[in-house]
Amino acid sequence: MTRQDWDNAFEQASAVLRASKPAANLQELEEVRLAFLGRKGALLTDLLKSLKDLSIEDKRDCGPKVNALKAELESRIELQRNALERAADEASLSASAIDLTLPGFKPARGRLHPLTQTLREMTSILSLMGFSWAEGPFVEDDANNFTKLNIPEDHPARDMHDTFYLADVPRLLRTHTSPVQIRSMEGQKPPLRIMCPGRVFRHEAVDATHSAVFHQVEGLYVAERVTFADLKGTLAEFMQKLLGSSAMRFRPSFFPFTEPSTEVDVKCLFCRGEGCGICKQSGWIELLGAGLVHPNVFKAVGYDPEKWSGFAFGIGVERLAMLRLGVKDIRGFYENDQRFLRQFDESLA
Amino acid sequence: MKVSLNWLKEHVALELSAKELAPKLMALGFEVASIESKGPQFRGVVTAKVLDVVQHPNADRLRLCTVDDGAAKFSVVCGAPNVAAGQTVALARVGAELPGGKKLGPAKIRGVDSQGMLCSGAELGMPGDAAGIMVLGEGTPLGQDFAAMQGPGDELLEVEITPNRPDCLSHRGLARELAAYLRVPLKSAPPAPVPPQASETCPLISVESPEACPLYIGRLITGVKVGPSPAWLAAKLEAVGLKPINNVVDVTNYMLMDIGQPMHGFDASRLTGPEIRVRFARSGETIKALDGKSYALSLDNLLIADSSHPVAIAGVMGGEETGTTGQTVNVLLESAYFRPSVVRKSSQKLRLKSDSSYRFERGVDPGAVAEASERAAALIVQLGGPEAKVSAPRVAGAQPAAPKPITVSVSRLNEILGSAFPEADVEGALRAIAQSLQVESTKLHFTPPTHRGDLETVWDLAEETARLLGYDNVPSVAAPISPRPAKLTPYESLAERCRSRLAALGLLEAYNYDFVSEKALKQAGLSPDSCAKLANPLSDDWTYLRPTLLLGLLANAATNLNRGASSVRLFELGTRYKPVKGHVAEKRHAAGLMLGPVSERFWQAARTPDAGFYDAKGLAEDLLSGLPGLAWTPLRQAKTQLEDDVFFHPGASLRVESPKGPLGTVGLLHPTIARAWGLDRQPVALFDFDLERLAKLESPRARFAPYSQFPVSRRDLSLLVDTGKPYAELEAAARQGAGAPLQSVELVDVFTGKGLPAGKHSVTLRLTFGVLDRTLTEPEVLAGVDGALGALKALGAELRG
Repeated sequence: MTRQDWDNAFEQASAVLRASKPAANLQELEEVRLAFLGRKGALLTDLLKSLKDLSIEDKRDCGPKVNALKAELESRIELQRNALERAADEASLSASAIDLTLPGFKPARGRLHPLTQTLREMTSILSLMGFSWAEGPFVEDDANNFTKLNIPEDHPARDMHDTFYLADVPRLLRTHTSPVQIRSMEGQKPPLRIMCPGRVFRHEAVDATHSAVFHQVEGLYVAERVTFADLKGTLAEFMQKLLGSSAMRFRPSFFPFTEPSTEVDVKCLFCRGEGCGICKQSGWIELLGAGLVHPNVFKAVGYDPEKWSGFAFGIGVERLAMLRLGVKDIRGFYENDQRFLRQFDESLA
Repeated sequence: MKVSLNWLKEHVALELSAKELAPKLMALGFEVASIESKGPQFRGVVTAKVLDVVQHPNADRLRLCTVDDGAAKFSVVCGAPNVAAGQTVALARVGAELPGGKKLGPAKIRGVDSQGMLCSGAELGMPGDAAGIMVLGEGTPLGQDFAAMQGPGDELLEVEITPNRPDCLSHRGLARELAAYLRVPLKSAPPAPVPPQASETCPLISVESPEACPLYIGRLITGVKVGPSPAWLAAKLEAVGLKPINNVVDVTNYMLMDIGQPMHGFDASRLTGPEIRVRFARSGETIKALDGKSYALSLDNLLIADSSHPVAIAGVMGGEETGTTGQTVNVLLESAYFRPSVVRKSSQKLRLKSDSSYRFERGVDPGAVAEASERAAALIVQLGGPEAKVSAPRVAGAQPAAPKPITVSVSRLNEILGSAFPEADVEGALRAIAQSLQVESTKLHFTPPTHRGDLETVWDLAEETARLLGYDNVPSVAAPISPRPAKLTPYESLAERCRSRLAALGLLEAYNYDFVSEKALKQAGLSPDSCAKLANPLSDDWTYLRPTLLLGLLANAATNLNRGASSVRLFELGTRYKPVKGHVAEKRHAAGLMLGPVSERFWQAARTPDAGFYDAKGLAEDLLSGLPGLAWTPLRQAKTQLEDDVFFHPGASLRVESPKGPLGTVGLLHPTIARAWGLDRQPVALFDFDLERLAKLESPRARFAPYSQFPVSRRDLSLLVDTGKPYAELEAAARQGAGAPLQSVELVDVFTGKGLPAGKHSVTLRLTFGVLDRTLTEPEVLAGVDGALGALKALGAELRG
């Protein structure tokens, strides 16, 4: 390319650039860019390429000219791009493209049973308090369920436990989790601190508040010089963590396997003790049975009651779950209606 | 037990209402289930005469009455239409308390002061018309307390007595507790007048089993005129829920409720033979009891018998033929101590309970047997007409040994309780319930009274101390530090992870009862004979212990569908039972069921597919992922058999085997069972795994596996394959043929139908190639593809165009 041709081409390129109108959209802008700076047949690309054909003097003259033109082009493109992108963003932001009220696609997530959730909460608190998990069979013998727990045959205390018996074999369905105490103590030397969560069975007609199958969590602590005061302190800590309050009332009661025995009421979770329908205006809700391990139980498992002492407590899982979840009919837990099971979500809070 | 407050107050000086008493009883360990008020519920209401009635100046319906209570005149506004001068009425004066605790204050009604209220029956909680005031009979004296005119009121408490406290199953027993707790004196009963002595003697009493009946006292009462009891006695019994019968039976029931001794009166003329025998029944003997029913007796039933027949089931119920009737003249009065276990066994054998057996099986006060006999005899004579006389007592046996003394120190009691009760307080509390308490330096020698057979050890005295001084006064000590770190059992820790995993996989956790019906077992083709059976099921639906969790889940699925659910996704962790020699074996399992659309409603597609075999397989694979050495075998080819194989479609189920034995099964529900449960309208996918075996498997901890940072190459191969060719063979061939650079083989698509030759389907495999340290070259990838194709072709697969 001669200097003259180059100058003509430069003038043309300058004229085109100056005459060009702002691009209407990003695609047009890209077309403009390609018209000047594309690989082949583009105005500026050709000018830049043909610099090499010019003399040194011409190069000195033409180089800066074309570079200035290129800079001008790039700055124009940049300005226009910015404006177009901003306009595009604004258009996108102002458009209401989707109906935000359409339902989200629900992930197929399952749920843990509300009793599992309640059991987990109780056992995790107890486990932080040092109680180890212990388990035992549901089909038990009379000795573990009754006699070793100081409930002799032909004792009216057996009336407190309506029992399912197996046909054909001398076995029964455990009426409480306490046989696990016996098994644990027979299996290890003191001291020990265990919890026995699990299913128990009572031969009772099923209604809104009674279930022939239900769950208990039992705690047992045996060491030297364990006192009733320790029992109160342990339950206070447990209730504080479970219910957020350690307000309790200890009433004398009777369980054959503890002496002294107590029934423990907690301050009503709903009215905070002022009296409401749920606590039958008493301000208290009966939640636990507890006491110091009866010396006859220690004797039955071969512990010396003069050396060892301990406490045990038991709490009904369904009852707590019903109170906390507002379930009015205990049978709901065993019906497995999915509308029931879906309701109880472990909250993130 | 129903307790009358008035009756209680005969035994102990109490100034409390039932409502005030309830918390005290609770503090002692006796729950008050309910309180019922009997009699007038108002105070400050007097009789008065209406002197004058004039119209209220500001209200058409109201009248202004001047009434006179004999001491003063009152101006009262009254709205009752029936009020008239000259009537005697019930006037509630200012300050009166009306039922419900409402207190009457001075009132201004439509601008006129009213100094009280003329009462309707309804306003006083009495029968009567609410529309008008009560008009009392002429001649009713004025100024009388209207409440007192209604007779004494009473409050009835339903008190729950724990089985260890039979001594509190009477008014005197509860009064004794309150006296000890409140430190008020017990009132002693006025001495009974000595009744005239009969000339006849009481029949001989021969106790053949002194172990079962240590003490039996008989008295013969002659010349009794049997008839209705006087009103005071009938009212007392009615108040506590007993039906008055006649003056003999009522006196024995009175003793029962008053001091807790069950008694019985025989018609002496109906007893044959010279003596009364206390003996166990012989086989074949029967008795018609007072409830009108006949009972076949067994060797466990202790009896009272005459020389020929049983006349009472000792401690449980008398016989009908020898009971007292209107014709009875001579009564043999029984007061005895029967051994608790004997009465309990007897009552349980016959399934016959009574107020008497309830007390005997818990243990009556041996010290009250003689007292009851004496008092009851005196009362029967007193109520039995002028001819009534009583014989000297016939005593067989002796009062059982009194409870043994307990020696303890205050410091030991405080050590058990963790308390710091002062010595004087502990001594005072124990003295209040003791027969005697001797203090010898730091030692306390506590002798229990005869009615406290439950006090045997120092722990019993610790409870008494805490009870009388207040459980709330034992401190609460911060829980001691654990001697050992807490542990989960291996099973529970697995179970917890399994539950979380299954819930995360989209299943809802179910809890089923452990009971199943014979019908359900048979419907599933399971033999009831191989299942653990209950001796005393609650109902026919709950006769057996479940041999599999699947029965419960199938029933749950049917219930949910019936209630309108379109899909069911449930799992359960639970126990299955199986009888083994002399015992029942339990095994923890995890089972699940899926049917219907795999996800909840997805509104951008018309319908999501129903869960099927591959959903269950995928879920099982995910659940068991990470466990080494598992083999998945078609159920038809499985070498092991499991109990619930009957639930699975043999052609659409897999057995999962582990190195420690079969883990379980996953697949589709057997069509026969699906039909039986009404679940045949869509596929039902199931799984069932043995969690205990699973817990035995060792699962290696997950370890990091390196992956390439360089680009990988993917090639899809669409192959025409015989439909009978198992996919697993194709995948294995591709892997083996492609060689080392192959990272993975995925199945992308299986297509059957249009355009394909008969007996063939199209299978698309996606091969991913790559190595860790560089990008593969095109020839390397091509070599891998060729290798894979070669191996696939050897299986008869052809590459499609």
